[in-house]
Amino acid sequence: MKTVKTKNVQKFTIGMKKKLVVLFMLVLLAFAGLGARLISITTNNGKEYEKKVLSQQRYDSTTIPYKRGSILDCNESTLAWSEKVYNLILNANVLLSDKEKNKDKIQLTLNALNKYFAAQMSANGIDLKWIQDYLEKNSDKKYYILAKKLSYDEIKDFQDYASKENLKGVYFEANYIRKYPENTLASDVIGFTSADDVGQWGLEKQYNDILGGVEGREYGYLDDDLKLERTTIPAIDGNSIVTTIDSHLQAVVEKYLNVFNEENKGKVRPGNGAMNVGCIMTNINTGEILAMASYPNFDLNNPWDASKLVGMPELHKYTEDVLDEDGNIKIHKGDVEQVKDDKDNPVYITAERAEQLNNSDDADTYEQKVANLQAMWKNFCISDTYEPGSVSKPITVAIGLDSGKITGNETYNCGGYLEVGGHKIHCHNTGGDGIVSVQQGIQKSCNVAMMHVAQATGIHIFSKYQKNLGLGLKTNIDLPGEPFMDTDVMIHRENGENSKSGDVVMVPTDLATYSFGQGYNCTMIEMITAFNSLINGGKFYQPHVVKKILSSSGSTIKNIEPRLLKQTVSDSTSEKIVEYCNTVTQEGGTGTTAVPVGYKIGGKTGTAEMSINGRRDKINYVVSFMGYAPADNPEISIYVVVDRPNTIKQDNARFATTIVHNILTEALPYLGYPMTEEVTEKQQQELNEFREKYGITSAPPKVEENQEDEAAEGNSSEEQKEEKEEKEENKEPIWKSFDVDPETGYYINPNTGNLVDPDSGYELGSSAFEDEPSDDAPKETANN
Amino acid sequence: MARTGVNVLRRQREREETYVDYSLIFVILFLLAFGLVMIYSTSTYWANLKMNGDSSYYFKHQFGAVFGGIVAMIFMSYFPYGLLRKFAFPLYATSVVLLILTPIIGREVNGAKRWIQVPVIGSIQPAEIAKISVIIFVAAFILRLQKLLLTPKGYGVAIGFPAFLAIMIRMCTKNLSSAIIVMGIAVIMLFVATPGYKRYVMAALSVGAFAAVTVLIIVNAGAKGSFRSERVLAWLDPQGHATGKGFQTLQSLYAIGSGGTFGKGLGESMQKMGFIPEAQNDMIFSVICEELGLFGAIAVMLMFLLLIWRLMIIANNAPDMFGALLVIGVMAHIAIQVILNIAVVTNTIPNTGITLPFISYGGTAVVFQLAELGIALNVGRNIGR
Repeated sequence: MKTVKTKNVQKFTIGMKKKLVVLFMLVLLAFAGLGARLISITTNNGKEYEKKVLSQQRYDSTTIPYKRGSILDCNESTLAWSEKVYNLILNANVLLSDKEKNKDKIQLTLNALNKYFAAQMSANGIDLKWIQDYLEKNSDKKYYILAKKLSYDEIKDFQDYASKENLKGVYFEANYIRKYPENTLASDVIGFTSADDVGQWGLEKQYNDILGGVEGREYGYLDDDLKLERTTIPAIDGNSIVTTIDSHLQAVVEKYLNVFNEENKGKVRPGNGAMNVGCIMTNINTGEILAMASYPNFDLNNPWDASKLVGMPELHKYTEDVLDEDGNIKIHKGDVEQVKDDKDNPVYITAERAEQLNNSDDADTYEQKVANLQAMWKNFCISDTYEPGSVSKPITVAIGLDSGKITGNETYNCGGYLEVGGHKIHCHNTGGDGIVSVQQGIQKSCNVAMMHVAQATGIHIFSKYQKNLGLGLKTNIDLPGEPFMDTDVMIHRENGENSKSGDVVMVPTDLATYSFGQGYNCTMIEMITAFNSLINGGKFYQPHVVKKILSSSGSTIKNIEPRLLKQTVSDSTSEKIVEYCNTVTQEGGTGTTAVPVGYKIGGKTGTAEMSINGRRDKINYVVSFMGYAPADNPEISIYVVVDRPNTIKQDNARFATTIVHNILTEALPYLGYPMTEEVTEKQQQELNEFREKYGITSAPPKVEENQEDEAAEGNSSEEQKEEKEEKEENKEPIWKSFDVDPETGYYINPNTGNLVDPDSGYELGSSAFEDEPSDDAPKETANN
Repeated sequence: MARTGVNVLRRQREREETYVDYSLIFVILFLLAFGLVMIYSTSTYWANLKMNGDSSYYFKHQFGAVFGGIVAMIFMSYFPYGLLRKFAFPLYATSVVLLILTPIIGREVNGAKRWIQVPVIGSIQPAEIAKISVIIFVAAFILRLQKLLLTPKGYGVAIGFPAFLAIMIRMCTKNLSSAIIVMGIAVIMLFVATPGYKRYVMAALSVGAFAAVTVLIIVNAGAKGSFRSERVLAWLDPQGHATGKGFQTLQSLYAIGSGGTFGKGLGESMQKMGFIPEAQNDMIFSVICEELGLFGAIAVMLMFLLLIWRLMIIANNAPDMFGALLVIGVMAHIAIQVILNIAVVTNTIPNTGITLPFISYGGTAVVFQLAELGIALNVGRNIGR
């Protein structure tokens, strides 16, 4: 360091260096102090502040509600939507700030509140005096809801006034409430939402994520002058869904389910016209659900109202475990059981009981109410399983034809029963149908013929086809509540694949009873989906209810195309099934009563014995009809199931066919199908009466052009027909010689003592087995 | 610590460059990079709301300023600091002129005129220029007064000039905190330059007593106070003023407390979501506490301590008095701002708007602070000459 030191350089002195070190020490001390302060804040208040941070995330910033998307029908008319409503909020702190200066303004605000909202506030027990008292006692409170769910129209005038006079301390909080303009329409399908906009049942649940949006937020913050300002992140509204449901068609379906109920309720037992009634209408070439309903329905705007339960069998939910003598649990908590009276008959909910359920504050009563409501809310058409019965006969035949095991030209001799695996399995016509062809097997619904067809097919092929047709499997329709299906409780499979231990396999008696739809369970949606593929050329479509998703601004986000899953049978098999099923509704078939005047339809009836607690009591039946139209070129299908009709003799498919007849009489003209068949004067008169009775105001059905000519020469053909009818009357069936039961008007079979239907000759209550072994009962059956 | 004997420059003038303080440079670069990360973390939410969805608005602006600041630092580190003596008075005068101009031609932001619009560069804060000019001016003035400084009159003059500047800042820009910092820098420089402790202890005690009395008066006066007095009340009882002046402080405390030992993780702060207003500014340290916890906060404080330590080393080894005083001024500036900022954030003192050097958002501040460090580096270069 021997550089030249310039003249005037002042050196940093030792004293200064010392002071500098002192300075650094002071800085070090300050840092240590601040570090200690940081540590003390974290250790002393860390937990408390952490909670504060979390809590103010919710409370110090307000959320802005989103608008849930709408549910629209196929013509985009509204089935469900969210209406913006407003809560009236009083902020006493703001209202009373600078009390002296704003005296006039406070009075002005109170007067305005009284003028515009007196009625709405009085619903909460609030009047002007109450507010004055409140303000006196709670001058620092910031939030009190004076009135709830006000519509925009209600608050508009006040808002104008408030902004004109620059009033403070009263503001509105926006909210949305869910509204269902059609009330009960399609209640099972649409479902409803909880108060916090979460879908609970039906489409509201299935499409909750799509219908729901994202809440916005409003935050408070301070600007440079420490003034509190607010900033907003807007909410994102939910998307809307367009369904395949036609609300007019749906209304028609529900109308005639209701008519059925009105006609049959309270007939032999108290309660509804049937335990359950369900109807599905679909477009067979797309899998779209056009209508889906069950009775009873409920008001979507008030789903918790128990008065809609009236007529349903009451359920009891156990709120505690029930123990037997040994202390083992006999009945588990949460199990639901039907309420029975002394004579072991079901108890039905009366208006008084409903009132009691609605008005009780008791926790247990509430629990029971919920259990019963849940039974009403669920969608019978997709959630409930039952034995389908003869509706499945076309499936049996289709399997035989498609696998080449039968040609369709076979004939079978029905002696009234067939012995399978040591059991005599009877035909519904215990006297035997004689020689029947495959076609007649379907037309007359002959069990023996079906058993022969199934035996010719064999278990291996039969089981494979059943699975391919989706029997015992979920359809994956876009609605919640399909039960888990493929278990041995529902259906036995050839290789026992759906049994836990693998040992419950399909045996020859299974094959025999499956051939006419007994011994296994399915849902309505499953059966109609399988049947659709038999009549549309073998194309198996996944059923669906939603066809389009729209953004909140109304633009299309996604089109949901029909989903073709597989080919179940060949085109030629399908043609034959249509041909066979068309005969069911013709002279000599079981489903003639389903045909609407002027139309030709096809279909299949079903009457299935119910197994109650493992016993077939021959009292309880599920009757049904699966139909399609037009007969020659099917486009739509309809399936009606009546679970235990309220009548003495339940085993009569007419309960179902009448509903189908009624629905199609109004629905086919609405859907634009022209009449193809001649209409006699008598029929025309009946039709007019029908239209008048049920208030059908839509245009009467068109008659197809080329029919005009024939109508001109209608006289001759009518005569011919009359002649024919006369001939048939001469050829009286054997049962017409039986004695007539004075009570029901049915004939009595002198051999069995059973009643005989005067139209079809079907012997009511006829049983498959004379002596039914009670242990493995579910296999045997009578069938229509 | 000292690294010697590294000859970096090959210039025609045979100057022996013996000392480059790498650890100082490392600390500076670390703090700058860390500051940018934290600014991005704290400001994205805010920028998204305020800047039409440009979530990196504040980050981009600060990045530009940091780049400019580094250029200024490199330039100043080659600029012979001896020449600064000649600029001392012109700089002082310029600062005064700019401060006077501020209320007249200044740009109003949030109701306060603290910025002057300058073509090309953008807007600058005259108060920041005043801070660097007071360092250079006081250093030059002490050398000029020499022995005179020991007389009460000389000392009075030495403290009078910066005091005038501080009053100008308070008057013209209504910025009390910058005035306090300018005064603090001058006092610390004089403290080191003059022998004896007595008067400083006395001064400190009387300032403390004055503050205590003021606080007492304000507390007894109750709620009917002015803008500043409410800040004092909010300082004593932030919970009681949670919706007013205590809001920011309370939110900052919540942030610190909720961070815990290791924090919620980088970018995970909840308090920056509108609760701590403009979290990228004065209150950025509380978000550091929330996201990185006590660990991160104390690490940052240690980095600042290291920075101050290195500056002290440079000052102690400075080739001449002027260089030493300059470095002490820079050191005082940074120490005061860091200490006051953290004190505010932890509610140790009443809330005044003081930014955290190198980390808080603010273009002018970072450019001038880096320029100051450039001077310090230049002094460091000449050690051992």
